[in-house]
Amino acid sequence: MIDSSLRWVDDRLGVAKGGRTFLDKVFPDHWSFMLGEIALYSFVVLLGTGVFLSLYYIPSAHEIIYHGSYLPLRGQKVSEAYASTVGLSFDVKSGLLMRQAHHWAADIFLGSIAVHMARVFFTGAFRKPRELNWIVGVTMLILGIVNGFLGYSLPDDLVSGTGIRIAYSIIESIPLVGSYIAFFLFGGNYPGNGVIIPRFFILHVLIVPAIIVGLLAAHLGLLVKQKHTQFRGRGRTEHNVVGSPMFPTFMAKTTGFLFMTTAVIFLLAGFAQINPIWQFGQYQPYQISYAVQPDWYMGWLDGALRIMPSWEFVGFGHTWPLEVFLPAVLFPGIIFNIFIAWPFIEARHTKDLAYHNLLDRPRDRPKRTAAGAMMLALLFMVFCASSTDVLANFFQIELNYVLWFFRIVVVVVPILTYFVTYKICQEMRHAEGVGKRKRANVVVRTETGEYETYESEARPGDGHEEIEAVPVPTFIDMVPAELATGAGVRRVMR
Amino acid sequence: MRTLIRGRFALPVALVGVVGLVGLVAFTPSAAQAGPAPVATAPTATTAAPTAKAPAGAAAHPTATAASTASPAAAGTSVTGSPLTSSHGITYYEPAGSLIAPGQALYAASCASCHGVDAAGSARAPNLQGLGAGTVDFWVSTGRMPLANSSVQATRKPPRFNRLQTLEIAAFVQSRTPGLGIGIPVVNLSQASLAAGNSLFTLNCAACHTITGAGDELAYGAYAPSLHLATATQVVEAIRSGPGNMPHFSEGNITNSEARDIAAYVTEVIQHPVDRGGFGLGGIGPVGEGFVALLFGVGVLMLVAFWIGERS
Repeated sequence: MIDSSLRWVDDRLGVAKGGRTFLDKVFPDHWSFMLGEIALYSFVVLLGTGVFLSLYYIPSAHEIIYHGSYLPLRGQKVSEAYASTVGLSFDVKSGLLMRQAHHWAADIFLGSIAVHMARVFFTGAFRKPRELNWIVGVTMLILGIVNGFLGYSLPDDLVSGTGIRIAYSIIESIPLVGSYIAFFLFGGNYPGNGVIIPRFFILHVLIVPAIIVGLLAAHLGLLVKQKHTQFRGRGRTEHNVVGSPMFPTFMAKTTGFLFMTTAVIFLLAGFAQINPIWQFGQYQPYQISYAVQPDWYMGWLDGALRIMPSWEFVGFGHTWPLEVFLPAVLFPGIIFNIFIAWPFIEARHTKDLAYHNLLDRPRDRPKRTAAGAMMLALLFMVFCASSTDVLANFFQIELNYVLWFFRIVVVVVPILTYFVTYKICQEMRHAEGVGKRKRANVVVRTETGEYETYESEARPGDGHEEIEAVPVPTFIDMVPAELATGAGVRRVMR
Repeated sequence: MRTLIRGRFALPVALVGVVGLVGLVAFTPSAAQAGPAPVATAPTATTAAPTAKAPAGAAAHPTATAASTASPAAAGTSVTGSPLTSSHGITYYEPAGSLIAPGQALYAASCASCHGVDAAGSARAPNLQGLGAGTVDFWVSTGRMPLANSSVQATRKPPRFNRLQTLEIAAFVQSRTPGLGIGIPVVNLSQASLAAGNSLFTLNCAACHTITGAGDELAYGAYAPSLHLATATQVVEAIRSGPGNMPHFSEGNITNSEARDIAAYVTEVIQHPVDRGGFGLGGIGPVGEGFVALLFGVGVLMLVAFWIGERS
């Protein structure tokens, strides 16, 4: 029955051959290859919860009188966007859970992208032929940050409104074209004519996610086309992939991972409050709250803005303010361009233009590892600088000292990190037997009470003898037992 | 195969167990708040209007700390004195004349060494004459005076004097310049509007005290204190007298009814926020949220990947 219906489909679409290849696609078993899946599945959660939210959210800056169940707001004039978000939190069944799940999923989405990117970077998985996929990934990271900011702004609460105000000034700080771009985006001078909420909405729910979905398809398509990288090991060469086949092993694992990701996100959504916008109140351009920070993935941009000294110079008949343009436009611009160009920078530096399917251990490329650690240290320090006021208040230190502390550590810590990481890598490379399996030491007490120690016999796997790769057959007979997929059986493809 | 499955289930079961336990311990109180709408209490008369029997400043205004509750003696003594002005739920009182004599003794013992025997100030401390009983009451009842050390800004601490003693000191300082300065406000919140208080607080207070009232560091060691311990009387006293770096707002800027609404918003919403959605993560916003998302969210999922995948 199933057989005949499948045959019917195949006779018309001819998918059996491709489907067979896909089901046999081999995934490496190492845990670090699953980090990107966290991002994929939190994106799935984002889409699902986002659809729910869009049913109740009203993207309008039109002012109405609030009549919902949050008492301190009753009778106040608020925008429909804010009123509907407060309504989602209090008056829609499971609305607050969905809102919080959406927000936590966004934070985890970008966090897992960062972790996945670090794995790809430190193991050298971005090298030829995978530079394009690296660029696709970085583009998705940037779009993810942008979409996170857009979504954070939609509730129209006091804190997010402050963020929009800052964004407007950042756009304005771009020389020559800044004011024109800002006017174009906001439909005039700040705060615009109530157009920014509907515009952000359509960008947030349609345009940016559509681009991300397209890039995601390209990301995974390239992954299937170029096949996985893998760590060095027994039977692993530049021309094969060792691991579990898509069906059934990997399919089971990854489906389980989808459920686990969803579970963790909803666990947080149920137990940990995030962005209680009803406490912040409606945004008015003439109001502001102190102690406002953006979400964590924007934190490094905010931190750079905070610790920047107020530099400006007067010349050519203009005042040239650098205190916004340098940290908020040039700094992220340079960082993202380094990200995008890194595969080419490295290839030029090492003059290594060969294909690479085997991964590096981070310690074997001390310069790259040190550079990556330096970048992480820089971003982490700037990120911490976005909470200067919170830190000053918590430790009861003068805010100005905290500012100066960060101005110094932002320069010093990354440089120190580079040299420390470089030295650690070198030491680990030259240490005897690091990364190899240790032999057991057998201690024997003799009849006279003396102790003797000797190393145990070599066990299988102690040496690194290469075994021949066995290609996957194009036609699989389902009967023979040796092809049954058990825990110990692996297939080798290519 | 069986042992493999059992071994692989041990980690997630332990994980779910630990997370569940932590959740139960940490979040149990917040479960009680998931009540039906409306989600905030209506303004109530938390501060009773003074009657002839109950002295206004004394028993009706316990500050947040136990040390400042009125002594039994206060209940029998008429400390209210005469109301100076009264409108829209706020009545400003001048402490009774009978308090001046004991106040002088307390003042001489604890205040005069800096502020001078006649409260006229010295090289070390400002002149207090003309500031009124309300100003003195704010500084003493919040524990800021007597000063612990002469840092940039006086810190809130458990008050040194009980309610009656505080009023006595205020009465003595007021007696130096009768009729000048602000009286001690007694706030009746029964007619207050939380919505108006919300809007006024956002406009006038949030820029320093933050929108959640948590307070924050300003510049050069000055800071806006947390509002989580302030009483309605202290809120109005601070608005009217402008302690430290805070600007003072006269009745032309913030009317008595507006000051009352702000006091209601601070004592009823800021101090008892609707904390739906689980544990509040310290109320310091995205910094805490980011750390939880990265350390707990991404961290746990990496552990899951570590559990599903291979380690070698």
